[in-house]
Amino acid sequence: MTISCLSFAQEGERPLIEPDVQPRPVDEALIDTENFEIGAFTGTLNIEDFESSFLWGGKLTYHLSERFFFEANVGFAEGGETSFEKLAGNVQVLSDDERDYRFYNVNIGFNLMPGEAFLTENYAFNTNFFVIAGAGATEFAGDTRFTANAGFGYQVLLTDSIAMQLSVREHLYRIDVLGEEKTSMNTEVSAGLSVFF
Amino acid sequence: MRFAFCLFFLFLPLTVLADWPWSVADEPQPRVQVVKPFIEWRTGPAAGYPVFHASEKGEWLTLLKRKTSWLKVNDQKGREGWVHLSDVQDTVDETGEKVALSEPRFDDFESRRWEVGLLMGQFEEAASTAVYGGFMMTENLSAELWATQILGSASEIRMFNANIVHQPFPEWRVSPFMTLGVGHIFIEPKSTLAVPEDRDNSIGHAGLGVRAYIADNYFIRAEVKDYKIFTNRATNEEALEWKIGLSIFF
Repeated sequence: MTISCLSFAQEGERPLIEPDVQPRPVDEALIDTENFEIGAFTGTLNIEDFESSFLWGGKLTYHLSERFFFEANVGFAEGGETSFEKLAGNVQVLSDDERDYRFYNVNIGFNLMPGEAFLTENYAFNTNFFVIAGAGATEFAGDTRFTANAGFGYQVLLTDSIAMQLSVREHLYRIDVLGEEKTSMNTEVSAGLSVFF
Repeated sequence: MRFAFCLFFLFLPLTVLADWPWSVADEPQPRVQVVKPFIEWRTGPAAGYPVFHASEKGEWLTLLKRKTSWLKVNDQKGREGWVHLSDVQDTVDETGEKVALSEPRFDDFESRRWEVGLLMGQFEEAASTAVYGGFMMTENLSAELWATQILGSASEIRMFNANIVHQPFPEWRVSPFMTLGVGHIFIEPKSTLAVPEDRDNSIGHAGLGVRAYIADNYFIRAEVKDYKIFTNRATNEEALEWKIGLSIFF
């Protein structure tokens, strides 16, 4: 009895069937890195003096670290009518083409408050509250203008690769279409979906 | 219809949750063994997320994906979580070798070939935004292509340039360089001006700048360029531009 136990123990040290796999070193190329994020958003853009309108666009993000990221945006909207145009009746300050509002910007963002949002007791989504600022250009009313923007947003990661976000931005540029040159403040409120790759 | 579209996008995540079509699902994922007393797991890829588990010495972890300096892992019991790169560097792989995942460092500059960046500044009185890409031919010499947009109160200018860069001391963390190049400038006056007149001219330029290493593969780059604009009028024009921005090496 004891002998059979001993022999069993000895056999246990070496597997009966030699595994047919070679030990593999860690190959970095096999690890999927997800530092880029591409997404689309829609929302409302309030164009100073030209009503609020539907906004849509796309973004590309590169995450430098857990805190910092770069984001490039393009957005499209259409300016409405000024109150002057509405009251005076048959007047047009801008042609239809000039009402097309397009912007692009490049920003640096900072994940201020990473956290979790609990949907149920046992199910949580990772979230990020971020602040973001940058600069770019706005094409509106016949010209392209240097535009600064700043804002904040809340991102909810539905999975590790898919995120939903709400953001609020203020876009600022100098414009002289309605008489004197002034700073135009344009508020964007948008929601978007993005994919990490 | 729009509602259906929204719904589709809302549920899209669920349909693709399992795997991306381009992911290497068939390849066995790399495994590492913990050699430190323990490794902490977090619920997300940042130090701000809570620690919810720890792997003990001897446990095997499978590396699933990487986001910045965090790796998503699972263990033999099917748990999933995020561990920091520095902890993974302290593990061993199946061959018993220490795991060496790339952690970009300043010393890597010798093996870097590509550089891209975005800079902003002023071209005379106007705001200037520029993107560029560069190829390092040697440690000291690189070739670059630039696209610049300049938005002034009187005109919009687009510029395309090619230049060579000479960096005499690539091993310095804050390293000066000189540039020399040529390009083309397109000037489009604002539509509110009385007599708008488009024009485009060839340009030549020389510059001085500095690269300052921050971390990983990021550099701050600042430079001043003096442009000579070759007009077809009696005199040529000159313009001074400064800008500062961030560059990434690959």
